[in-house]
Amino acid sequence: MRMTKIYEGAYQWIMFGRDVHKPEKIIDTNQYMVRTANRCLLIDPGGIELFAPMLAAVLHHAPVEEITDLFASHQDPDIISSLGLWDQALPNAKLHAATLWEGFLRHFGCETIEYVPIPDHGGVINLGTTELQIVPAHYLHASANFHIYDPHAKILMSGDVGAALEAPGTPVFVDNFDMHVEKMRFFHQRWMPSNQAKRAWIDRVRKLDIDILAPQHGRMFKGDDVKRFLDWFEALQVGIAV
Amino acid sequence: MQVNQTKSQFVAVASIAAELSAVMEVAKEISLAAANAKAIAFRAGEKAKGFQPITDFINELAKDTIELVNNINEYAFHLYRLTVNEQRMTEACRRFEKVGQLAVGARYADSLATPLQEVRLRTQICHREFIIQVSELLIKLADVMHPARAARVIAANSRIEASQAGEYLQSLQAVAESVDNAAQIINDKVHKCRSALTIINVAE
Ligand SMILES: [Fe+2]
Ligand SMILES: [Fe+2]
Repeated sequence: MRMTKIYEGAYQWIMFGRDVHKPEKIIDTNQYMVRTANRCLLIDPGGIELFAPMLAAVLHHAPVEEITDLFASHQDPDIISSLGLWDQALPNAKLHAATLWEGFLRHFGCETIEYVPIPDHGGVINLGTTELQIVPAHYLHASANFHIYDPHAKILMSGDVGAALEAPGTPVFVDNFDMHVEKMRFFHQRWMPSNQAKRAWIDRVRKLDIDILAPQHGRMFKGDDVKRFLDWFEALQVGIAV
Repeated sequence: MQVNQTKSQFVAVASIAAELSAVMEVAKEISLAAANAKAIAFRAGEKAKGFQPITDFINELAKDTIELVNNINEYAFHLYRLTVNEQRMTEACRRFEKVGQLAVGARYADSLATPLQEVRLRTQICHREFIIQVSELLIKLADVMHPARAARVIAANSRIEASQAGEYLQSLQAVAESVDNAAQIINDKVHKCRSALTIINVAE
């Protein structure tokens, strides 16, 4: 599992991805970690097949007892089907996920981990020394969907928004936006159901100060590419299957 | 090995649940047959005097069976929960061991030792409880055989009583027949449950 530090301050953001051992037919995912002095948040910790390489990678940065928080942007298996295994591994952790998905996510196994339901309007994740915002992103693409915004690190973890399907081993940042667009177009048109939801999200996100837009698949956007992405997404017609 | 074991547990527990719900259906049929017989015996009056207490008895037996099966169903559900838990924990052990291999050299690799130990212990405890529950269930299943056996004896008596019921002979004989059949079916189903459970016990 490749690990890339994307923010270093009083705490760190680390991106995990591009796992070379990943079974071929499983979609490649990015996992993110926010590491403070004594706590640790895993954002979209991933699918069941990824659990072992993911935890092994995490153990380079934190012991299991300091992994105190998990966040699931939505209910998809590539996001959180590993929950039942984290549930056995983490002695004191909370899962922050939508109220709406609780009855569904519990199918993965959630006995030791405390389920902290996120209401539709979002909320915060307090990690003691820092606080992250939970930003609503409903219908992008799941009915209840949230992103994580860190106002200090200026990172927006955007779930499936900004995702691209790429060849294995691809770089972690977009280096040529125009070329990158083709890897995103169909994914967004087909997976995102609502132009109205898209507009509401763009209005909300444009007000945030963002250095890095960090999606769950493909490459991250940095600097001006963040604005380029928002403009491109704004102009895109989504929900094309009907 | 471990994974296959929980798989066969799933199959066994599922087949028990299926057999039990069949037993339940049959027991309900018996109680319906008893009500029916009672009505006929009432109409037959004097001619079916000997039949009346039998119908009450059949009804009792059906009730007993339903109650026992309800009780057993709870056991079966508990066995199912235990199997799910055991399967999850077995899977967790397997994955944690994999983490151990992949995390060689990681700074905090050792921190997984405690969770691994604990999940191994919980798996053992869970499996032990499963074994205990299975043997208790076997005993309970033997209890269900009793009313079924008694029902067969009663069915035989009913035939004798029916033969004295004149024009009601045929309908009362049909009742006796259906009670006998039902008891036979319950007997078979319970046998199937027991052999499904014995397979797990043997797999130990
Ligand atoms: Fe998704
Ligand atoms: Fe995804």
